[in-house]
Amino acid sequence: MSHDIALTVNGRRVEVHVPVHALLLDVLRDRLDLKGAKRSCDLQVCGACTVLVDGAPVSACTYLAVEADGHEVLTVEGLGSPGALHPLQQSFIDHGAVQCGFCTSGMLLSAVALLDEEPSPTEADVMHHLRGNLCRCTGYRKIVDAILACAATAP
Amino acid sequence: MRVTRELVIEVPPEALWPILWDVPRMAACLPGCAEAQEVIPHSRYRARMTQKVGPISLSVPLDVEILAAEPPRHLALSARGRDPLVGAEISMRVTIDCEAVGTGARLSIGAEGQVLGKLGGLGQGIIQRKAEEALDEFGRRLARAATGEASG
Amino acid sequence: MIRPFDLRRPTALGEVGALLGEYGDAAALYAGGTELLLLMKEGFVRPRVLVDVKCVPGLDRVTAVAGGIEIGATASHRSVERSEAVRAHAPLVAGVARHVANVRVRAVGTVGGNLAFADPHSDLATLFLVFDARVVLWSLAGERELPLADFVLGPYETARRDDEILTAVRLRPWHAGAAGTYLKFGVHERPTLGVAAVLTLEADGQTVADARLALGCIGPRPQRLGVLETRLCGTPIADIAQSRTGVTDGAADAIDTLTDLHGSADYKREMAQVFLRRALRLAASRAMGQPVDARYPHTVVC
Repeated sequence: MSHDIALTVNGRRVEVHVPVHALLLDVLRDRLDLKGAKRSCDLQVCGACTVLVDGAPVSACTYLAVEADGHEVLTVEGLGSPGALHPLQQSFIDHGAVQCGFCTSGMLLSAVALLDEEPSPTEADVMHHLRGNLCRCTGYRKIVDAILACAATAP
Repeated sequence: MRVTRELVIEVPPEALWPILWDVPRMAACLPGCAEAQEVIPHSRYRARMTQKVGPISLSVPLDVEILAAEPPRHLALSARGRDPLVGAEISMRVTIDCEAVGTGARLSIGAEGQVLGKLGGLGQGIIQRKAEEALDEFGRRLARAATGEASG
Repeated sequence: MIRPFDLRRPTALGEVGALLGEYGDAAALYAGGTELLLLMKEGFVRPRVLVDVKCVPGLDRVTAVAGGIEIGATASHRSVERSEAVRAHAPLVAGVARHVANVRVRAVGTVGGNLAFADPHSDLATLFLVFDARVVLWSLAGERELPLADFVLGPYETARRDDEILTAVRLRPWHAGAAGTYLKFGVHERPTLGVAAVLTLEADGQTVADARLALGCIGPRPQRLGVLETRLCGTPIADIAQSRTGVTDGAADAIDTLTDLHGSADYKREMAQVFLRRALRLAASRAMGQPVDARYPHTVVC
C-alpha cells in the first residue's frame, strides 16, 4: 500500500509518494536528500535521527513517513543557511561543541525545540531535555554550554 | 538457560516408558509442540514448537535427535531449530529420568540450552520463565497420560 | 525492514471494534508506535493491519474526575506531564511522566500504548498501582473496567482480548494529607527499578495510617507490597523518615525478580531492599512536612 503525502519540509511544500511502511528517516535521507538526520541506534534511544514535527522532537527512525502528511518537518538543513547560521549553530562552533558531528543535528534540533518552549532554560532543564541525545565525543559539557550561551544572548 | 522439574507420579516407570518412547506422543505433551514426525525411528524426529510472548509469536521447526535411551529409566534428546522470521535460534538438551518410588515413580525433567538471536536478547529471564512454565505443564501432561494409560 | 501493512484510520470506536473483529490478532492497535514500530522493525510482530486510533475523538483527553484523574489511552506522556488537571490532583504523575524514556518518546508515545504493551520496565505501570488504577477496555460487546493489577499479567501480556481496545486509565485520589514519591533507578534507556511509596498519617501526625508501595521493572510485572503496607500501619513516621525501623527488613525476599540485561534476579532483589527504604524515608519526610532533598546515583527522584 502506498500513500501520496504532502508535507512542509524546512518551509517548503513537498509532495511525495511513499510506501505505507516507509520510515520518516528514510524518506528524508533517500527521497529528499536531507542527510542531516542519521540512523544510529535505530531504536529511538540515541537521538541522532531527531527531527521536529510541528515543533516537537521525534525519532525519525521509528516514525512512519505517512504520519508527517499535512505537517511541518524541520531538519538540521532548515536551520539557518550556509551564509547565515542559526544562532545555535554558531554557538556550537564558538564553544567547540562539535567533534565528529554525528550527534550534532539531533542535538541542535532538540535544542531548538527546547528554546522555542523555554527561552531561558536552566542547566538542569537543558540536561534533562538532552537526556535522550547521546554523544560519544564531547562529554556533553560544551554542548550544554553552547545552548545556555545561545539562550543567554537571545534578543 | 537451565530448568529442572521434579514430580511424583502414581505409576511405575515401566508404565511411563511406552509414552516416552512414542516420541511424537511424548512431544505432544510439551505445550506448543505439535506435529512431531518420525524421520528415523527412535533416532530422529521433526517437530514444530510454537510459543507466544505477548504479541510475539514464535514458530520453530525443530530437529530432534534421541541421544540416549535406557528403558525405563532415562531418555535424553536434543532439539535444535531456527525461526527465521523472528530471528530466534533454539538449541536444547532435554533429559527425562524416571526412578521407581514405592508403587509410583519420581519423574525428573531437565532442559538445558540456549535461545539465541534477536529474541534471545529480549530477556533471558522471560525465556527462563516460559521454559519453567512449559516444563511444568509437560510434566503434568506426561503424568496424566501415564496414569490414564495405566488405568485404561 | 518493516513489512508492508494495511493502515486504517477509524474515526469512531465502533469502527475500531469492527476492524478488530474482522482481523483479530492480524491487526495491531497503533497510536504513537514507539513500541509497536520497534517490534515491527525487528520482525518480531508482523501485523497485516495497523489500526491507527489517533483519529478517534476524545481518546486523548486527560480530565479530573471526582478528585481523581482519567487519562485517555492516546494521551501522550508529554500531555500528561503538562496537564493542569494532573498537576492539580496527582502532581506525582506529572512528575513521573516528565521522565519517561526521552523527550521524543514523551512527545509521540501514549499512556495507553505503554500500559497495553506491558513492558516490565515501565514507570507508569508501576506508579499507577499506588493510585488504585483501573483500565477501561472497550469492545463492540461492551465496556469493562479492570484493576491495573489484573490487566498486566506478565511480560508483554495483558488481559486485553483481541477484540478490545484500552480506552482510558482511571486513577483514584489518595487520602487527604497523603504524601508520596517515585524513585526511578537505572542507567539504561528503560528503568532498572521503580518504586512508588505513599504514606498517610493518623490525625495525631505521629504514626502511619495508610501505606501504599509498588515496585516495578524488576520482575515480570509491577507489584503492590501488601504485606509490608500492612506492617507499616501504626509505625511511627519519624522512625521511617530516619530509617530507624526494621519494618522493611526482609521485605524484598518475597519479591518476584527476573534476570535480564539490567541485572540478575538477586541484584534486583538487593536493590529493591535499598530503594524501598529510600522511598519510604522520602515519603515519610514529605508526610511530616519536612521534605528532604535526596539524591542517589543514577536515580530520578520524583
